[in-house]
Amino acid sequence: MPDDRRSLTMRLSVVQYVVAVLFSLLAIAFWVFQIASHEKFLQMAENNHMRRLPLPAPRGVLFDRNGTVLVENQNNFNIALVREQTKDLDRTLHILATATGVDEAQLRDTVNRKRREPSYRPIVLIENASPEQLAAFLARQWELPGIIQQSVPARRYPPTALAAHLFGYVGEVTEAQLSRPEYQGVESGAVVGQAGVEQAYNRYLMGADGDKFVVVNSLGREIRLHRQELPKEGRRVQLTIDADMQKAAEDGFRHFGYNGAAVVMDPRSGEVLTLVSLPAYDPNKFALGIDRATWTALNTDQLKPLQNRALQGRYSPGSTFKIVIAAAALEEGVVTPDYTVFCPGGATFFGRFFQCHEKGGHGSVDMRHAIEKSCNVYFYTLGNMLGIDRIHKWASALGLADKTGIDIPNEIQSIMPSTEWKRARTGEKWYAGETISVSIGQGQVTTTPLSLATMMMTVANGGTRFTPHVLKAVDEGAGWKAIPAPPPQSTVKMKDSTIKALHDGLWMVINAAGTGGRGRIAGRDVSGKTGTAQVISLTGAKVAKGKIDVRDHGWFVFFAPRDNPELAGVVFAEHSEHGYLAAPIAKHVIETYYAKEGKPLPVLQKAPVPASVVAGNAPATPPSQR
Amino acid sequence: MFERRLYFHVDWLLVAAVLLLAGIGLAMIYSTTYVRLPDGSGRPGREFFTQMYAMGIGGIALVVCLMIDYRKLAEHSLLVYGGLIAALLVVLVAGDSAGGAQRWINVGRFKFQPSEFGRITLALILAMYFGENRRGARTTGDLMIAGMFAIVPFLLIAKQPDLGTAATLIPVAFGIAYLAGLRLRLIGIALGIAILLAPIAWNFALKDYQKSRIVIFLDPEQDPRGAGYQPIQARVTVGSGGLKGKGFMQGTQGQYKFLPVAHNDFIFSVLAEEHGFLGVLAALGLYLFVILRALEAARMAKDRIGAYLVGGLICGFAFQVIYNITMSAGLAPVKGLTLPLMSYGGSSMIATLAAFGLILNVRMRRFTN
Repeated sequence: MPDDRRSLTMRLSVVQYVVAVLFSLLAIAFWVFQIASHEKFLQMAENNHMRRLPLPAPRGVLFDRNGTVLVENQNNFNIALVREQTKDLDRTLHILATATGVDEAQLRDTVNRKRREPSYRPIVLIENASPEQLAAFLARQWELPGIIQQSVPARRYPPTALAAHLFGYVGEVTEAQLSRPEYQGVESGAVVGQAGVEQAYNRYLMGADGDKFVVVNSLGREIRLHRQELPKEGRRVQLTIDADMQKAAEDGFRHFGYNGAAVVMDPRSGEVLTLVSLPAYDPNKFALGIDRATWTALNTDQLKPLQNRALQGRYSPGSTFKIVIAAAALEEGVVTPDYTVFCPGGATFFGRFFQCHEKGGHGSVDMRHAIEKSCNVYFYTLGNMLGIDRIHKWASALGLADKTGIDIPNEIQSIMPSTEWKRARTGEKWYAGETISVSIGQGQVTTTPLSLATMMMTVANGGTRFTPHVLKAVDEGAGWKAIPAPPPQSTVKMKDSTIKALHDGLWMVINAAGTGGRGRIAGRDVSGKTGTAQVISLTGAKVAKGKIDVRDHGWFVFFAPRDNPELAGVVFAEHSEHGYLAAPIAKHVIETYYAKEGKPLPVLQKAPVPASVVAGNAPATPPSQR
Repeated sequence: MFERRLYFHVDWLLVAAVLLLAGIGLAMIYSTTYVRLPDGSGRPGREFFTQMYAMGIGGIALVVCLMIDYRKLAEHSLLVYGGLIAALLVVLVAGDSAGGAQRWINVGRFKFQPSEFGRITLALILAMYFGENRRGARTTGDLMIAGMFAIVPFLLIAKQPDLGTAATLIPVAFGIAYLAGLRLRLIGIALGIAILLAPIAWNFALKDYQKSRIVIFLDPEQDPRGAGYQPIQARVTVGSGGLKGKGFMQGTQGQYKFLPVAHNDFIFSVLAEEHGFLGVLAALGLYLFVILRALEAARMAKDRIGAYLVGGLICGFAFQVIYNITMSAGLAPVKGLTLPLMSYGGSSMIATLAAFGLILNVRMRRFTN
């Protein structure tokens, strides 16, 4: 059967060729997957078995100007459950609940909510456990298989909410922030500074998070560590703040029973030594993510604890504004320091009678005595001579018309009226009569405590409006590197005679027959000025009585010593009714500053003895305690 | 009965290639079933040892199939066939089930899967039928009878259900029929009928999971976590291997179980992952060599029985190899179809080695009378 044989051979060849072709196609297919599309599939395989776990970097530690630690990091502890390691879940939960005092039903609820998660994944039962809870758990740990403690890095702020508004707080980065260039490279979910220094210098303070890559199997269980990059801690940052003075200021407010704000600066550089806003919040509450109830409570509190009064509160400057009028009048050459006005207890301008606070009148006063006695009539007269626009010019030069430019976010601007300002705002012209109220810091002018401190600094140093700043040095890893101070906002060269007259008058306020006697410190030549900011007009006060606190605010602006000042600042005591009641707080801060020269820090007496208030407009009443 | 001179006619090259492939398979099983203990140590998996025993038993089966003259076997093929049908019936009635399928008979400590021996039995009986028949596969009546031989075990195996293994009977039957002179026109008609029957089969014969496998194969992205998971992961496994592979036991897809049944249906994917395109080419080359070498044995065969027997066996083998490798690259619907010589599976290994025993047998006895 040769025919059969040939047919068989032929058919076997067909099978051979078919198989060979199919194998070639297979080889091509594998070439496409393994060579041509290798990268893509390799990436997909990596995504399958690699899990990235972020290792959060601790934020940089904050130091004060003397090297005292202000803000550091700590580990908070969670107590968590790993179900696959437990034998008797009910018993475990019962023991844990008894030991830590947590509601057992609540624990069970937490476990039930997460029961669909893989049993090797820890379930957090008690977040941020207290030391007592932790100790109780550790004592009974042998009875609690599967219960573990996890440590979570968190920011630790000083107790008593020291400088809370200055430091700010941290929180998860928002969507809006992520789209801004300064947050480039920050990942969603990262914790960034959300206020104060934490926000302003987030770029230094925020470290570089590390990564931990683990290999997981198809069930998601970690099999081994692939590689890890340890987190880099944020830069250490030194502030210009003096912790002792900061504390002294806050102690002062508490001691005398006021809320308010205080700013103390070095008038030779603009370094901020103290920045207080009270009441404060506890930034530690934000460190692990704030709960909704606390957040709502903070936001609806009538006392506005979240507001940084030092740079976000605007109040009438009152008599402290007379310093601006005096400087403007002298520099504009409208008057000389010897210019004398007779004060009969009031004066009429544009058909309206304006009172002096001294009913009987101050008699004949020159510039120095007008400042000392805070004579309204003298400054009505000067203000009227200057006109609003020249006042505005000098308020601007002294820092009351613009933002101060401090390196803390969300500063608001003081309001200093001018003809242009009024036209832009209301479309109306400025009436010269309105200038009279402005001359004694009433009417439309309002200032932030920080801008008023800037004014005092500029007057103290003779015309250089330094930019207030809180950053002193940064340690980028190679030791402290001083950060140069920002350039001054503006400089005017004030006449020596002007400076002399102003400094003399302000010295007399405290050291002679003025209103600031409570700020006097022997040998320190403290100079300053008190002021009262009306909360509400006299008629309005009647209406609002009982609903809101309508008592006036007290101001005390100061510098020290009179010659070559080293300190300049402001104390704003909310509802203290009188400016001279703010002065002791400043005194305590200044004494603390001078105690640096080897002496122990001053201690506030339990029952403060009011410093003798000499004459002036100050009735000798004890400070109002609220 | 084994004449000494026949020893010199054993195709040692084919034996070597077959053993090499089985060895590669064993290594891949070692890699995928290695048990890692939490303390960092580990030990080979149970499957590795099972496969080694199976290879030993398979070796014995190979020698037995080699020694008995294939013509003698063919003469008794009806008896063998009867035995197979009986075994399949036993499976159906009293078989051991696992994973929703009833495929095994318990023999002492071992589980024995009769369906794996369907191909050899069918090849024997069809080779006998067509080889003895002077007319070849020319008449419709002959084809009907041959068809009956094939359909009975096919249905019994498909009923287990094990459509994959049942399907491997088809190339055996068609291969022998084709070599025996089946006219191409008839193949065309059969194909036509198959296409016409497809919608009916779709609606009545296929189970839901089988349907979804086909649908998902056509568009795996439709359900990447469910039914589309296997084809996608198979491609990822293969593709991530690259040219040289990730190294022995260094694969991630197989080692961390992203690819299911890696030691079984998807053993070739693991080979591709750990040994890369070069490993794939080596394995493909070995398989191609084995198939072409066996076809050569068919050509050399002394008689038509031998040629048909070898042809049928190798057609079944080649179909299974090509289908499984295509599937392991995620290019064919996932079926429970193992890769002969490499996949984990005792019965499959024994049956495959026995089949090669027969192939060697035919070649060895090409000069005898």
